[in-house]
Amino acid sequence: MPSVCFYFQVHQPFRIKPFDCFKIGNDHHYEDEAKNREILDRVSAKCYLPANKALLQLIEKNKGNFKIAYSISGVAIEQFEKYRPDVLKSFQQLADTGCVEFLSETYYHSLSFLYSKDEFVRQVDLHKAKIKEHFNQVPTIFRNTELIYNNEIANYVAGLGYKGIICEGLDHVLGYRSPNFVYNPPSGHIKCLLKNYKLSDDIAFRFSNKAWSDWPLTAPKFASWVHQTAGNGETINLFMDYETFGEHQWPETGIFEFLKQLPREILKHPDFNFKTPSEVITTYSSKGEYDVHSLSSWADLERDLSAWLGNSLQHDAMERIYSLEKSVKETENQRLISDWAKLTTSDHFYYMCTKYWNDGDVHKYFSHYNTPYDAYINFMNVVTDLEHVLEEKIMV
Amino acid sequence: MLGWEFPPLFSGGLGVATYGLVKALSPKNDIRLIIPSASATEELNNVDIIGLNRITKEEINLERLQFQFDFPNTEVHQLPIALSPYHHLNTEIERAQWKDFELLREGKGSVEAINTIFSDKEVYGGNVMHKVYLFSKLAEEIAADGDFDVIHAHDWITYPAGVNIKNRTGKPLILHVHALETDRAGSSTRNEIYWLERNAMERADQIIAVSQYTKDQIIQHYRIDAYRISVVHNGIAPADIPRTKHKLKDKLVVFLGRLTHQKGPQFLLETAEKVTRVYPRVKFVVAGTGDQFAHLLESSAYRKMGRKFLFTGFLSKAKVDELLSLADVYFMPSVSEPFGLTALEAAQHHVPSVISAQSGAAEVMKGSLQADFWDTDKYANYIHALLKYNALRTELTSAARQELKSLTWDDAAIKISKVYNSYSGN
Repeated sequence: MPSVCFYFQVHQPFRIKPFDCFKIGNDHHYEDEAKNREILDRVSAKCYLPANKALLQLIEKNKGNFKIAYSISGVAIEQFEKYRPDVLKSFQQLADTGCVEFLSETYYHSLSFLYSKDEFVRQVDLHKAKIKEHFNQVPTIFRNTELIYNNEIANYVAGLGYKGIICEGLDHVLGYRSPNFVYNPPSGHIKCLLKNYKLSDDIAFRFSNKAWSDWPLTAPKFASWVHQTAGNGETINLFMDYETFGEHQWPETGIFEFLKQLPREILKHPDFNFKTPSEVITTYSSKGEYDVHSLSSWADLERDLSAWLGNSLQHDAMERIYSLEKSVKETENQRLISDWAKLTTSDHFYYMCTKYWNDGDVHKYFSHYNTPYDAYINFMNVVTDLEHVLEEKIMV
Repeated sequence: MLGWEFPPLFSGGLGVATYGLVKALSPKNDIRLIIPSASATEELNNVDIIGLNRITKEEINLERLQFQFDFPNTEVHQLPIALSPYHHLNTEIERAQWKDFELLREGKGSVEAINTIFSDKEVYGGNVMHKVYLFSKLAEEIAADGDFDVIHAHDWITYPAGVNIKNRTGKPLILHVHALETDRAGSSTRNEIYWLERNAMERADQIIAVSQYTKDQIIQHYRIDAYRISVVHNGIAPADIPRTKHKLKDKLVVFLGRLTHQKGPQFLLETAEKVTRVYPRVKFVVAGTGDQFAHLLESSAYRKMGRKFLFTGFLSKAKVDELLSLADVYFMPSVSEPFGLTALEAAQHHVPSVISAQSGAAEVMKGSLQADFWDTDKYANYIHALLKYNALRTELTSAARQELKSLTWDDAAIKISKVYNSYSGN
């Protein structure tokens, strides 16, 4: 009996304010509070509140037969606490239904695994505590930032006690095999849940694309594609950014109507059900090895790390920020540690990406900077101030 | 083709551009290039270079001149009304200077006197208006046979010649705008040269602008319809020039160009002051001279910035290359820069650029840091970042160098040939 497994990613970074060289040494507040509040308000109104409401109704209507999962970054939760407690409350209502699972990730939505295992574990623990605090759940499935993944990460995360890990379903790794099964890494007691990127991206990216031959996408049409997997699959993993609903795909595209109709259409086929990631891995056994050596992710066509570590600016900025880890932590100053950790958030490095920025592509859509150079300079000015604070032992 | 600056004699980007274009166009186009001063050393296939500094009586075709040519005094009035600002040539002084041509016309003067006028080492010089007019008449005579398809005139100094030839032969006139009087003298300027440019543009069949920026300026300040203006970016000959490590403890920010209002020396000074506040170990090297030199020198001293500036005066091409190979940052705060070849040359020397957004270079070099010409805070922030963060230097210079590869004179020639062909019926 095949399952459909939904996981939505909720994340908002703490954007840093315009920080020119004259602020270095004079201003030790880095957050762009006005912009962060403005964006959170906008996305809450367009996506979080209406989507939460729609999903809550679906869960109630389907009486336990419709289930979903979220991964909400710690920095997003922190901003809900600060600016939009009402949104946080609506997520808690979803948690209270018992049909919603919360996944584990790094609190700061960072690439810390690649730079510092200590910091990685610290961020994972911080996030776990935050999830427990607000949703009264202890996550058992791990989702690394932007689905950054390889065997080593899977192994390490297994060592932290997780039962499952979220991955991109990479064609070159799967070969002839289908992403619609549970797999396992070559070693480590953990199961891999692979994103079915074709079906996921039909919703996340192609939904409103009028040039797409399958436009307009309706719930019955999409459900029929899902049903076609019957006999060759046990779990269809639909993983996407939550902001797909209402923010990336505007309400006018009909995305909410699609969402509201989809569970009913899927469940029309008597063999299909909905499961959360932890239910999927307890229900289905592994169908084989998912063997990933080089680091992969769910980003861009390359599905690699080039969105965050594709040029020398990104490498430089990343190395600089992690080089401060020891001295920052030695201060035991909680604000300083938190300010530093917020600078590890992947988005700061994504803004510095230079690949095809001339084309005004998706990277530009997600960036509030005019150029990747501006993003780098602003970040480095902040880091330089932070170094100054550490060197001069300034109390913040 | 009508040019003014041409190697080995040139003062700025116009000479480099004319040469680059003529060379790239020559394999597929027969070019008759008329310039004030030609050197025996410059030869190009398919290009007939006619320099007025060594022109002969035969080339001017004096016989025909005598029969077909009106009196120079009345000639001024025969010029299209469009060129009426040239009235000022009717003054006594100008007429005296004009005597050489008059004598020549009457069969009394010698062509050597004309040759001498155009053998001036100064490309423009004090009597530039006289030269422009004389050039326009001589070029008209040289081209009177009409044995060509299009007239291609580079910058305002050759526009009167272009208009004259069009009037005489009826051939289509293409004006190539490398710079505008509104760049040089400020956007609100409406002086004689402005009107000369504008009237010639109105007479032209097609206008080629060296950047979208310049096209926009022409539309805005000269009221020319957009459809009559094509954008053809300049090219740059590929070069990979190694860096020289300087022994100075201070980093070097280089400014190259005439010290005139157009090049933004006041913003250079303001920026330098701001950079020094956050990055004291820096020196600003100013290479070039102009009417703002004394002012810049005095105000830098007044603002106690004297020690931060090094003034080199005008530098030869070799010295410019040497300076760029030492530079840490190239800074071009121009108020209005039609193209800005120097920023591209800096990239050839692996030097990152901070440039005015009001420039053509800003369009073709995304691998540069750009701010509005007046935004000295932003300039300073950028220069500071380049002096402090090495990865930025590396990333910018490699991005810029990548872009230079696609900026060739051959590409420019292809676009210009298309413009030619639309008139020559090929």
